[in-house]
Formats: sequence, structure tokens, C-alpha cells
Amino acid sequence: MRNLISAIAIFITIGMGWAVQSSPTDMDAVSCLVDANCGISKLEKQVSAKFKNYCFDCHDAATKEGGIDLSDLLSRNDFDGSLIFEHLITGKMPPKQEQQPTDNEKLLMLGWLAQRQAESIPNAYRRISRHEFVHSTNDLLDVQLDLTGMIPEDRGTHDFDSDRRVMLTRQMLNSYFAVADEMLEFALPAHGFIHERTWVTNKIKDSHKTYNIYTRNYKDGILFSWTRANNGNSYSFFYDNFEPPVKGWYELTFDAAKLGSFKEDVSIEVFAGKYYYADDRPQPQRLLDVISLGNSEMRSHRVRVFLYPGENVSVHCYSEHNFRQKNGNQGAYIKQLKVRGPVLEQWPPSSYHQIFGDLPLKAVPRETINTSEPQTNLKAIGGSLSVSSFQQGMEKEKMQDGSNRTFWHTRFNPTLAKPPHYVIFENPQGNQINGLLYATWSGGNGNGQVQSYAIHLSDDGKSWDEPIMTGELETRLANEQQINFSQPTTKRFIKFLVTDAFTLDGRSLASIGKLDVITSLTANDPLLSVSVSSASADDLKKVIRRFAQKAFSSDLTDEQLAPYYEVSLNALQEQGDFVAATKLGLKAIMCSHRFLLAPGEYENRSSGKAADLARILWLSVPDKELLAISAMDKLNGSTLESQINRMLRDEKTQRMIQSFSGQWLNLRSFDKVTPSLKLYPLYNDLLNHYLPLETETYLNYLIQENLPVGRLIDADFSFLNQRLARHYGIEGVVGQQMRKVSFGPEVPRGGLLTMGSVLKVTADGFDTSPIRRGAWISKNIAGNTLSPPPENIEAIEPEEGNAATTLRQQIDQHKNNASCYACHKSIDPYGFALESFDATGQSRKKYRVKLAHKGTFQYRPQGYFKLAGEVDTGGELDEDKFADVFGLKKILLADHRKIAYNFSKRFFEYANGYEPNLQQRLHLHAMIPDSAESCRMKDLIVKVLVYSLEINSNE
Amino acid sequence: MSNISRKSFLKFGVALPLALQSLNSRAQQAKKQSPKRIIFINSCLGFYKAYFFPKQRGDLSTSDYLKDMKLKEKMTVFENLFHPGMETSNHDSEKSFLTGAPSPESPTFVNGISLDQVLAQQMGGDTRFPFLNFSIYDRGWGCSWNDRGAAIPPMHDEQKIFQMLFEKHDLQAKKQQLQDDQNILNSLRRDLAMLLKQGSNAGKLKSYQTVLADLENQLNHEKVWLNTSKPKVSKSLSDDQEYVFSTKIRNLFELAKLAFQTDSTRVITLSMDWIDGAIKVPGATGAWHTLSHHGGKPDVIARLSRIELDTLKHFNRFLVEMDKIQEEGGSLLDHTTVVMGSNFGDSSNHTCFCLPIIVAGGGYRHRAHTVLEKPTPLCNLYLELLHAHNIDVGSFGSSQQDMGLLTG
Repeated sequence: MRNLISAIAIFITIGMGWAVQSSPTDMDAVSCLVDANCGISKLEKQVSAKFKNYCFDCHDAATKEGGIDLSDLLSRNDFDGSLIFEHLITGKMPPKQEQQPTDNEKLLMLGWLAQRQAESIPNAYRRISRHEFVHSTNDLLDVQLDLTGMIPEDRGTHDFDSDRRVMLTRQMLNSYFAVADEMLEFALPAHGFIHERTWVTNKIKDSHKTYNIYTRNYKDGILFSWTRANNGNSYSFFYDNFEPPVKGWYELTFDAAKLGSFKEDVSIEVFAGKYYYADDRPQPQRLLDVISLGNSEMRSHRVRVFLYPGENVSVHCYSEHNFRQKNGNQGAYIKQLKVRGPVLEQWPPSSYHQIFGDLPLKAVPRETINTSEPQTNLKAIGGSLSVSSFQQGMEKEKMQDGSNRTFWHTRFNPTLAKPPHYVIFENPQGNQINGLLYATWSGGNGNGQVQSYAIHLSDDGKSWDEPIMTGELETRLANEQQINFSQPTTKRFIKFLVTDAFTLDGRSLASIGKLDVITSLTANDPLLSVSVSSASADDLKKVIRRFAQKAFSSDLTDEQLAPYYEVSLNALQEQGDFVAATKLGLKAIMCSHRFLLAPGEYENRSSGKAADLARILWLSVPDKELLAISAMDKLNGSTLESQINRMLRDEKTQRMIQSFSGQWLNLRSFDKVTPSLKLYPLYNDLLNHYLPLETETYLNYLIQENLPVGRLIDADFSFLNQRLARHYGIEGVVGQQMRKVSFGPEVPRGGLLTMGSVLKVTADGFDTSPIRRGAWISKNIAGNTLSPPPENIEAIEPEEGNAATTLRQQIDQHKNNASCYACHKSIDPYGFALESFDATGQSRKKYRVKLAHKGTFQYRPQGYFKLAGEVDTGGELDEDKFADVFGLKKILLADHRKIAYNFSKRFFEYANGYEPNLQQRLHLHAMIPDSAESCRMKDLIVKVLVYSLEINSNE
Repeated sequence: MSNISRKSFLKFGVALPLALQSLNSRAQQAKKQSPKRIIFINSCLGFYKAYFFPKQRGDLSTSDYLKDMKLKEKMTVFENLFHPGMETSNHDSEKSFLTGAPSPESPTFVNGISLDQVLAQQMGGDTRFPFLNFSIYDRGWGCSWNDRGAAIPPMHDEQKIFQMLFEKHDLQAKKQQLQDDQNILNSLRRDLAMLLKQGSNAGKLKSYQTVLADLENQLNHEKVWLNTSKPKVSKSLSDDQEYVFSTKIRNLFELAKLAFQTDSTRVITLSMDWIDGAIKVPGATGAWHTLSHHGGKPDVIARLSRIELDTLKHFNRFLVEMDKIQEEGGSLLDHTTVVMGSNFGDSSNHTCFCLPIIVAGGGYRHRAHTVLEKPTPLCNLYLELLHAHNIDVGSFGSSQQDMGLLTG
């Protein structure tokens, strides 16, 4: 019965979409399809007559073009007609030069194919994705903590996270339990928060001596010039005297100015990572933000970043003008770095207000403490040290001055100190010491570098126990090395005994750049607890109910609420801690099937719609307004549409843009591809950072401005900054802020196909493959439905390193084989049009061929390659010839329906977790306006959403 | 396939919580000799055939790849094994490597239980971790599939794995947490029971109920082990950043060795793949996947073989180290069945005929190189491995018979 109803709905909708120009017989057949009294056999006859007319000329038992005999296939009940349906609806078949069915005839054929498709039943429910889980719980608790990495990747081999074929497992649920714990601990920490601190530093940690020359003291601070390490990594310098005591948000203020008379900006890339005294190895770091220094005025540049304990902040100065300037006078002058944090917007934190409403909170006032005098851990615990001997000018204090360019050295002049050489720490207050932190002295000849050591403990500094540990130290590197005791100690005296040290001339020497104790200082920081002044069961119930209502998008009856409330109530009665008890109930809610599996259990249809919308557009839960409307069950008609429009304008929709584009366009894999530095030496992490941003900003703009769907293919603008513009060869864009940039018709950019993000992710970082790129466009943009590749054939994987002529020749082998060519004629040409872009998306006329380097790889801006054959970008699609990407775009733009149909299908799949079935595809197709100008992005999204909600609430 | 999974599920599944098995067997453990262990390693882009299989039948020293393996007498290379129904397949064939379920690329594909999981159901109760499952990056799926045919997400972060295996936890806090989690599970189950009675959304609720039961089993198992302190080992992981990929594989093998050595688990799987972008191993940098489609070009094969050799170098090291560890009645390797192979026979043209399969260790009667006369289901070998571990499930996947390839 449902089929019939939706069939009627289809024909009503479609009747408006497709011009009715058909003969009375067609109309009869159409009405026959929806008329239960009309015998099936009559319909079958009508439909098969159409297929006979338009298809069997080529695809019957006799001719069997492409190996397809439709007369046979269509008579089989188990044959899946999806491919025929797609070819018909997108106008791929019948071929252009053949006689075409009228719109109504087409409709009849499509409708029949849709009806005969075995109802594919997707899993009736879908799991929350890890991204949705993290965003939702953040919004529910009003915090910002990205714990996505704690939950296993849950997309499987499918295109979208939402895919219903991926099932919830014990391991996933286990990770939700763990993430819920950590989120709750971050929002409502059991032992409280620390005071806010401020740090001011203009000192950087040591680097390898070959890189130290790229910074110098300048005025009150430091001048950074740009350099890339020999391995090609952006070499960054770590700030000293600041370490985040706890994980959280910190405000970094750089007082900085550009030095240089050129027009372009100098950029400061701000990273976080573990301090890595670098040689040439990669520095594993996270790019936090980019600061654009526009002019030479000293200005405060503020960024807000999330930091973890153990990380340091580092900076890399980038501009195209000052590559490896020694003692240069161009670059970024950073006077100082000021840090404030962990930052809480209000006190007590907003999470308490969000969770506990207007219950009275008790909190110790939170202050801001200046961490002015940088000090070692040893000084912080009131300790001191003594040494076996020292050389004048190389006293023991040099181990505690925060630099490993100064150092302690045993006496060698006028007399040589005899071993044993040692350092003794005094720990007067018996603090818990977990180990020692050691660094060699940097820049010397290596004399005295400690190779092995023993640790002894004593109560009185006189009688020493057997060593608690012995170990070896790395002499080659000058990064800080941790010596972790197997058991922390509170003994008063700790001896670091040098048991072996490097020597050039056989003398017994010892030298140390830095030595300090490892102890937990934050434990000494007072923790500021926040508590709720209530022990009432009623209050607790209100708190749990409010949270459940948001998480489940629905109000719960007392009976329904009971399991979640009572788990908290029991804890409250047993332990008496209101906040701790609340956390238990909240965790149960966050791990409930009502939250994890959609559809949940809703009080009415509107609640279900609200939950769906929030999940799809915000990757989260409904907000207050949406909840209020759905509580009255009024999320329908124009209210529904205006709510969708409101939600699209909300900042949280950025999550959908990022998530959808990441999956639809495969940009999730963007960072997995690392372009070769030999072939693409100018590619860097700054560019890598901005390329996907261009795509996201662009897509967001198309949607917010409701622009025609053709803009996916081409436009005379994009969103660029200085770095991207340089990559694209577009003049006059200064500064790293992303902005709308218009360009002339001679520029191939504009539209998704020619974006660096897409061009990079469709290559492997070395060579481009027209097949891979072609397949990407064919699937993601043109929406061609192709059969899977035939099995057991030698694959053609061309390499650009070969002469260009052979590349074309190699791929043209597809033409020689009918079964290859059937699909590859709809793949390869797209890819060829993009051959004018290299694996990083830069324009090219000729291929680059990698050259060998002598010895170990040394980065150089000109790379290691020679130019080879010219690229050939011409091709032919369904007999439409094109010379280059401009021509390709024209061909694609000619059929806006195809682009819109594909976009709608992909968005539908993103939203619902399964591919639309043929009935649903008919609906989606019918939503597409006739004129390309009126076929607009936001409209399509709204229509797909409204339709999806309709399907879901009928389920 | 589904028959087997259901059968084994009923036999070893939820009806007998792991915790109980665990209690029983641990009591007897003192008397027992060295336990049997098993590890499955899948290199998802396979090995270049001409270099992998010995040129001369029976002689491993005529294999370009295996000629330098130190323990040739403790391994057998099988030639001519395959999974029926997936002779030609794409990358999805990895899903079926340990299950034998046909047509993994079909949109309606539902996988079966994987071999390691059948073994874990039987052998997992005696150790802190019933099984371990690794991949080389965050991927969410690999070769291990549960009895409902759902992918078991592998762990990939070696620091976290090490921490889980060997680092002490705060006993008091852990106890409290297990108690809290038990209370939460009870409340979740109460809600479910209420809804199930009303009869709506039964499919969804029941599947959630199963997952809850699984989690409860896990919590119970953790409770049993709570008061047993974790073994202490020195941290022998490499942090080389130059060859990240190579380091990862080395470390995962190292963790597998440590886990077996300390009897932390007896069943491990390791899935290795890298589809996007380039990797760097000593002697070559390149996109593994692109190189795997070598199309017969010698320079590409040369680079590809550096990557494959690097994997085999770590494999060799793993076997040697395992063999150095002496236990009651032989070396650790003698008590560990090591299955190394691939779902691809030839990834250059995406075919899965003649899969490269090595079985090493396990104390079998090894024959260096066994060429089967006709294409033989890999599941025959799997069935034999089940038998070798005293597990009788009738058949497994596409198995026809135990051919006594290792034990006959």
C-alpha cells in the first residue's frame, strides 16, 4: 500500500517538474500505474512497449550491445534495475543521437523500474557517529574538548559516517563510556579547577646549532627568519618558560611586527608539540593557528588554543622573502609571548550553569596569578644542589638557568678533578620526586657528555643506599631526556652519579647543560572546587530531567526517567556528593540507546524531526528554540522550513559543511597525502592548512547565499588568502585572512574541480592519475553510476614519470577493450582535463620527472626534478569534445539536473545513512527545478531535509 | 558461514561469560604447560608474487623475499590457497580474509565471525585480554569480526596499547569505576526492559541489548583481573620518526611478542594497510597503493619490493625474537601459531587467486614450501588450525575438510 501512495505522490510532484507533452496512451499508462484497478498485465505491456521502442534496438538478445540484453534482464524478477534507472534518469541512455522517450514515457519506465526494485531495507536505525557524539556531548555540557580520537573510526569502507551498515559494537560502546567519563571530568572535575595563570616569555628553547642561526636577539625580543629543515619540514622554535599545567584553553598573545620592506605578509605559524631538540627529524606537532603580520607596527595578535600538559608552543615564521637568512633583517619580530589560562569564560564555569540551572553554586574565588619568575622545579620545591667539583665560569648554577648553551663542567684547570663526578640534589621538604630531567650542553665539542649514570638516595647526604637505578643517556642530541624513577621518592638527598662520560683526550670529565628534578608542581596548586548547595532528591531529578530532555530531544515521564534518575539518586544517598551523583546519571544518558541510536524514543513526531535536524545540520542535539517548538509538535510546514533556514545560518552548521564535504569529496583523506618535496618543494604546511578551508568556505558561501548548483562546477570567484593565491598564481592578494576573490575568465579556478584540495586528494603526492581523478569526478560530481570494474584484468596504472605520450597511450588502451571502455569513457576524459594541474593542484604545462639527489636528501627550494613532456588535456565525453578544463566545465554545466540530482543523492545519503532507493530517487529528481538559474543550493538542501524527515516520521 | 557463527556463538558465547571460564581455568593454570597462542597478520596489499613464492618448489632459499628468513625450518609457505567466491575482488576482500565470507564488495554484504574470534571465544578466558587486535592507523576495522558480523575496531596507538597491557592503574579508582559502570549498565538495561515490553523498535533495542551484554561481560572479566597486577616489562618500543610506517610495524610486532611472552593474551590479529599517500621505508619512498599497481614495470616493482621486504624484515625479527624466549617445552615461537598472509594474491590487478600464506611456529611439522595441486580453500587450513587448538565447529567458512597440511 505504501508503494502505491508514494507512487501517486511521485506522479503528482513529477507532473509539475516535467512538461507534459505526451500522447493520450502515455497518460493512460501513467494513470494506470497509480490505479489499482488497472490490471498489471496491461501496465506491463505498456511499459515493455516503451523499453522495446527505446532500448531493444541495441540491447536485445540479438544485438546485445555492451553485453546487455535488456529483454532478458527485465523479465527476470531478481534483476536489479538500478543501473538502467540511473542511465535513463540522467539521460545517459538512450544515446543522444537516438530517438528519445517523452518525459511521460520516461516517467513511466522509471516508475516501473522503481516499483519492481526489491524494497531494499536499510537497517531501521542508525548509530551516532563519533563526530556527532563528541559535538553533542560538548554542547550538552557546554565545553569544548575534542576527544574524537578516543573513539575508533566508524565509517568503515563506506562513504558516510552515518552508514547504517556499520553496527554498534562493544568496543564502540566502551569508548563512549570512556569519552563520557573524560568529558564529565573536564566539565565537572572531581577535585576542582586551578587558578588562572599568566606567563610572559621572550626566550626560546635551544635548537640544533645549524638552526639557531635563523633566530637572533632583536630589540626586546627575537627576530625569526624563515627556514625549512634539511628534511623539508617547517622548522619551528619552541618557547621556553611556559608549559600548560593542565589541559585546557589558553590565550596566546604575540606582540609582534613584520620586518621587511616588501608588500606581502609575514606569517607566524603557531604549533603545539612536545619540545623536540631538533636535528633533521620531523617534528610531530599540531598547527594551532596562523598569525598574519600585515605591517611593521608592533601589534598584539591573540589566538585561543587548546593545549595539553607536556606540550610547548612553537613558532615558525613563513614568508617567501627570507628563506634561511642568517642574521637577516627580514622576518617576524616577536617581542614577547603572553599566555593566559586555562581560560574559563566565567566563574563558576558555564558548564555548571548549564547542567545545574539556577541551583546555588558554592565556589572559592578564582584569581589570576602571575607566573613571573621562571624557575626550575628544584627551586619551586625549595631545593638546592651541590656538585663534586666545578670549573670556573661553568658553575653548578648553569644547570639551573634554563639554557643548555651554558653548562656545568667538572674542574679541569688548574688541576683535573678526580672522579667520582656527581650532582647531589637536596629536597628539604621531602617532596615527591618522580625522576630527573637532563639535557646535554649544546654547541661544544662533546667533552664530558654523560653516557651513563647511577641514582643513589640518602636520608642525611652522608650514607648512600645502593643505586635505585642506572641508565644510559643519549649524547648525540641535546633535547631534554627524562630519567624516570621506578618508584617516586621523598628522600632528602638524591645523587646523580656519572659512571661514564665522553672524552676526546682520555681525561675524566663531566659536563651537563641542564639538570632538574621531575616533580608534580600542580599538585601543590590549590584546587578550587565548585559544589552545588543542594542535597535534595527533587533538585537532582530536575537536573537529570533537563539534561535527558536535551540529549533525547524529548521530555520523559517519571517512569521513563526513573532508570537515569535513580542511578544518580542511589549515588547521592550513598556518598552525599551532589555533583558526583549527577555525573553518573549524565553518563548513563550519554551512553543510552536513546542517545546513541536514531530514531530515539520521541514524545511526538516533531521531536523526532528536531533530533534528526540537529544531528544532520549541527552534528548535535536540538537547541532550546527547537525543543520548545517540537514540544508543541509544531515542527511542520512553514515552521519547519523557517527552522531549517535558521539552523543553516547558525554557526554550528559549519560542522555539517566540514563533515559533509570531508566525506562527499573525500577530503577526510586530505592529510594522509604528503606531496613529494623533490617534485613540489614549495608545498608546505601553511598551504596544507588553507587548501581544505577554501573548499569549506566556498561550499558554505554557496549554501548561505543560495547560489545556483552550477557554481559547484564553475565560478568567477573563490575564497583565497595570500598563500593560496600564490599557489594559484593570482596576483594582489595580501594577508592570510580568507576572503572572496574574483578573477577573470582566463583563470581556471572557481568551482570544486580545480581546487587544490580536490586536486591533491585525488593524486598520491607524487604523480597524477587521470583515472583516479576521473573516477572522482565521475562519482562525486557528475554522479555517473558505473558497473564495478571487470575482474581479473591487468590494471593500467600510468605514471607521470614516463613520457607524457605514453601516459595517454597507456590509458587509451582502455579504448581497445570494449568492456574497459564501456565505463572508462565516462572516467578517463574528466581526469585528462585536469592533467594541467599537478599533484598539489598547481597549474602546469609540462610534467616533472624526479631526479635523484646525492647522498642524503637536502631540502632546496628548486626541488629535484626536470621538465618532461607537455600535458595533454583534451578529451571527449559522449561525443562532446573538449580541449581543456574550461571545455570540460562547459560540458558539465550544460546539464544542471545531473549535478543537482547527484548532489541531492549524496546529501540524502549523508543525512540518512543509506543510498536513496529508486522511489526516493524519483522524488529527489522531481525536486530539481527546470531552469539552471533557479536550481539553488540551499533550496535543494532544504528540500532534501524536509523529504528525509517525512520518510523518517513515516517509518 | 552464518551457521558456523551461530553454532559457535551458542557454544561459547554469552551463555558462558568469559569471567567464569576465566576463574575455572586460572585455578588450574599452575599445573598447565605452556599455553598455545596464535597470531594472524594480514598485509592487505599482498606480496609481489614472483618474489614471494620460491622459484624452486620446496626450497625457500629460491624465494627473493624469504631467502634471508632465519627460521626456515619453522615455517611453511603455502601456494595455491584461495577463498572461493572471491577469486577476484577489490580491497574489501580484506574483510573476508579471516572469515571466508563471499562477495565482500556487495552492498548488502554481511560478514561472518572471523577465525581469531572463534579462537578467542575458546582461548580468551584465561588471560587478561581475551584477544588483541591491531591496525597501523585509526581505521575502525580490520580482520577481526564479531559473531554478528560487525567489525571489531583495532587499536593502533602503540603507546596506548603498551599502557593498557603493562601500566599500573589506580586500583581504588578502577574499582569505583567498575562499580559505577555496573550501576549505569543496570539503569540502561532497566530502560531497555521497559521499552521491550512495549514492543516498539524491537530490532534496534535488541541489538543494543546484545552490545550491553557484551560490555557487561567485559566488565566482569576486568573485575576478575582487577587484583592481579599487570606484568612488568621494559619499554622496548622504537620512536624513530624517520620511517614512521616501518616503526609502527616494528612496534606492533614488539607489542605482540610482549603480550604473548607475559601471557596477557593468546590471540592477536594485525592488519596492515596504507591506501592513501606515501610511505617511507629504508631505500624507498612512495605511495604503497600506487606502487602495488605496478603493472609489471621493473622500476615500480623495485620500489614496491623495498616496502614489502621491510615488512618481512620485521616479520623475520618477530619470529627470531619469539624463538629466543624459552618456555616449558620449547620456545615461545614453538607455542605460537603465526599466520602471515594477504587477502590479495595479486594486488596489481586486484585478484585473489593463490594467496600468499605463511604459517610459522606453533610446533608443527613444517615443510618449508607446500604447493597444492589444485586451488584449495584457505578455510581448509583455518579448519585445521581450529582443530589444532582443540576447537570443533564442524566447518568454518568455505572449508571442505581438514587436510592435515601442518599436522598430518
